[in-house]
Parts: sequence; C-alpha cells; structure tokens
Amino acid sequence: MTPEQFLYHEARLMDEMRYDEWFALWLDTGTYWVPVNPDDSDPRRQVSIIYDDYLRLEQRVDRLKSGSVLAVEEQRGAMRRVVSNVEVGAEVDGIVHVEANFILGIARTHEQQIWMGRSLYDLRPEGEGFRIAAKKVLLINGRREIPLLQFLI
Amino acid sequence: MATRTIDPPVDFAELVREAQVHGSVYRDPDIFRQELENIWYKVWVYIGHESEVPNPGDFVRRQIGLQPVIMVRGNDDVVRVFYNRCRHRGNMLCLADKGTTKKFVCSYHAWSYANTGEMLEPTFDEGYDYDLPKEDFALTPVARQESYRGLVFASVAEEGQTLTEHLGAVTEFLDLFIDLSPDGEIALDAGVQKVRYKGNWKYMPENSMEGDYHGPFIHKIAFELFARRSGLSVSSLHEEEVPDVIRSLPGGHMVEDYRGAPLTPSTREPSPARKEYAAQIKAKHGEEKGTQMLGTMAPLLYVFPNLIYIMTHLRVVQPVSAGETHTYYYPVRLEGAPDEINEARLRDHEFMFGAAGFVSPDDVEIMERNQIGMQATGDDWLFIGRGLHRERDMPDGGRSGFTMDETHLRGFWRHYVQLMNGNA
Repeated sequence: MTPEQFLYHEARLMDEMRYDEWFALWLDTGTYWVPVNPDDSDPRRQVSIIYDDYLRLEQRVDRLKSGSVLAVEEQRGAMRRVVSNVEVGAEVDGIVHVEANFILGIARTHEQQIWMGRSLYDLRPEGEGFRIAAKKVLLINGRREIPLLQFLI
Repeated sequence: MATRTIDPPVDFAELVREAQVHGSVYRDPDIFRQELENIWYKVWVYIGHESEVPNPGDFVRRQIGLQPVIMVRGNDDVVRVFYNRCRHRGNMLCLADKGTTKKFVCSYHAWSYANTGEMLEPTFDEGYDYDLPKEDFALTPVARQESYRGLVFASVAEEGQTLTEHLGAVTEFLDLFIDLSPDGEIALDAGVQKVRYKGNWKYMPENSMEGDYHGPFIHKIAFELFARRSGLSVSSLHEEEVPDVIRSLPGGHMVEDYRGAPLTPSTREPSPARKEYAAQIKAKHGEEKGTQMLGTMAPLLYVFPNLIYIMTHLRVVQPVSAGETHTYYYPVRLEGAPDEINEARLRDHEFMFGAAGFVSPDDVEIMERNQIGMQATGDDWLFIGRGLHRERDMPDGGRSGFTMDETHLRGFWRHYVQLMNGNA
C-alpha cells in the first residue's frame, strides 16, 4: 500500500462512518489536531477546533457511533471527499510525512456544505500499510464562522 | 426615537404572554429590524475584554447589532470603541479580525487615522479649496463606552441607563466567575472558535441557560463520557430538582445558579496543580467561600443581550438576520492559576464547545431545527410554562425556579416586551 492508497482508504472509512475501522488506523500515541488558524503553533495556550489525544479520540469515536448525536445519522451516505495534491516526504526515524488537499461534500437535511483544507500526516509504516502517528487538518475556513463539524475530517 | 418598521405598530405584549411566546418573534424580518433599533442600538452591548488588546495599537474587529466597530488600545493606553467606517466615503476601515497598528489606513483613498482615532491625513488634500479641519474627521467613537472588570461594553444610543444600572444584580455573578482567577483577573488570550447556525439569535441565550431540562435528552452521551473521564457525575442534577437554580434578573439577564447543588466530589486524588490552585483560592477567599467555589460550578449567566458565561468561556451572540446567527466562544484564562489548570480548562472547553465539541453542537443542531419548526404557523405559540406555579420573587428583583423550570425565559421575555414596546 502506498501512502496515497492509505489516504484513499482513510477517506473512505471517514465518508462511510466506519468509525471503529478508522480508529484502528491510529497509534495509541496519536494526536488529532484541527487548529483554528493554520499558523497556530501552541495548543497548550490556544484553543483549537479539535485537539484530541488518543483517549479523547476514542471518546469522539464512541460519541459519533453512539446513535444519540443529533447531527450524525442524517450524514450517513451523504458524505464524499476527494483527496488530491498528495505530497510524500522521505521516511525519517520510521515516520513518513504526507500532505494532501481534500474537498468534502456533505448533503445535510437542511443544508449542503463544502469543506476544504489540507491534511498533514505523520505515518508509521507497518506491515502492508501505515498507522497514523499524527494528523493535523488545516481548514480554509477554520477561523471563520463555520457550521457544525460532527463528522471525521 | 426608535424606527417603527411594522405597519401598523405591533404591541409586543400581544406576542408574548405570561407563559407563551409567538413564533413570529423568531421568524419575522420586520421584527428583527425592530430588534436592532429597540434592543441592539439602544442597550449596552458587550464588545470584548481589555485583555484582548493588551498593548498600544492592539485592535479587534467587532459588531454592535449589524454595525461594524473596532475596539483599539491607543498609543495613550486608552481602550476605545470606534465605528469601523472611514470618515471620507464610508468604506470599512479595518478588515483584519485583530492585529496591532499605529494607524488605520483606508483601502479606498488612503485616508489615515491614529490608533487613538485622530485623523492623520487625507490624501491629495491640495484639491480642496480650504484646509480640511482634521479634528472634524476623526474616527467616530461609539456614543457610550464603559467597562466592568475588564469587560468592555458600548452603546450606540446617546442616552440611556448607565452600565451599572444595566448590569444591576448580574455583577454579583460576573464577580463569581472572574474570581475563579487567583489574581481576580481573567484574560481572553487563547483565541476564539466561531460557529454559525441558521436560526434566530434568541435561541442561543434561551438554550444556553437551561442545560438541565434538555440535557438528559440531547447531551446524554456527552454526560456519560464526562463522567467516565472525570469521575464526576452530572446526572445527579436531574434526579432531584433543586429550588432557586434557574433565575431571572431585572434587565433580561438570566442565571443558572448551582451553588446550592454541589457536584459529587471526584474520587480521584487531585494533581499537584489542582492542590496548588485550591490553596490559592482558599487563601484569597477564605476556607468557607473557597471550598464552596471549588466544590460547585460558578453560576452560568447571560448578560442581556449578547454575553454568556458558561464554565470555560465567554460566548458572544451575534445576530445576522432573523434566521441566522454567529456565535463566538472565547476560552477564559484564569490569571495567576497554574499553567496546568489553564491548559486543562482549554481541553475541557474543546471537549464541550465549538463546532466539533461534544455538547454545544447538539444545542446548535436543535436551534436550526427550531427555526424550521417555526415556519409551521398553524398554532403559532411556544409554551414556556414550566414551574410557573412555583416561581418566587427574589430580593434582587428577579425570580427563581427549580432546576428545570422556565422561570428565566419568562424573565427574558418580560424584558424583551418592555424594550420592544419602547418602555424600558
């Protein structure tokens, strides 16, 4: 599996709300970070849209799959994203840094939305594929007034 | 004078009964325009906190109703609120959300203004047949501006209540959360999360102050996760309703006061930072009050019309139209508290709030569905009668009800009618 194929696989799991399979991609030291501003550098002092350690990420997944989050179920079958402009760095200390752009369309009941951004991954090669050591998502609209983000991005 | 945009004029007492509210107040664009005139352009509106502009030249861009303003600390160290509009031909002067500048230069014809508001220079001014009197072209300050413990409020109305009169009894509750800082000072320097929703602005204060009635239904999973993580249980709040929790205050303010409903103490050993923080609070406020502050949630509060305090943050409600609202979540940093405490507060904040939090998105989702429901006008009345029979008058002029009562909403709407009818 190439890094590109891994990103396509991850995108499919997110689109199809296959939460457990997506969570299984993560190393237990992983951090999942969606900053407000692309240049935010210190999540200890700056609020983020998402700043999950592995435990918080598990809670996020538990909540999304609980069936009791209002905004979630109507998104089933109504999300697809395109991953493109993939750039793969060299492997350093067992970690491959990969970046890619995405466009995500969501057809909600009362609103259709487009989300765009760039995802930055630290991936650890493992077996035939990879595990996620870190993922940082830079939304183009993170510092603007955004609608609810109740899905995996 | 308020502009009457509805013909014939509406008596708002006919749209808000003792325990009923008519759907048009959430839906009607004419009523929205009238709210701008009679509420947003009349009363004190929260602008920002002085800690957002700590140094000379620091500014933030804000709104009062639909009117763009900037809050800027001048080189003379004075914080001022100006209309964000060039005195030449009315271009929006400042585009950046925030920043630091010695001067504001208009992007249209490059007229420039000092960060204290004085006009610096018009451009190509030899084309006027007289010397432009610069003092006549300074940035226009918003008519009135006052602050309370760093919270800056402004009013575009030349006359009206003082800020002290407007805040009234709510200052006691502002003090309670600001005093969570061992230095007695808060700072809003951790950034902001911005969320939009397709619903009326009034849903936000109504929903924000009544977590206990809707909590078991829409926040169930978040409460379970919170209990698992912290060892604290919030479900006990629903098992037995407590009197005097839900409060309305004169002036349309609302409070959820949990001081009589202590949280079940965590069974876990507190961290060294928690112990240090507890010692700081007890040293400052004494053993008895300190213990109460640490063992209960500081009361949640709504300062009419646009400021909300909940646990980790100040929230600002910004109307866009009858059917759209922007909301801003500013985490509150407690000056003097150990870094670990403030960092934990940020993580708690993200757990609950913002577009990707585990609690407030369910509220926002309800607000959007509420707006859709409001388009059905067959029976156009909402019912806010819970606890009407048992609410009681309080010494501060407000009323109190039990944990899940709608006493606070009735107080909000009584004040709304007064303002909208021009009687307040």
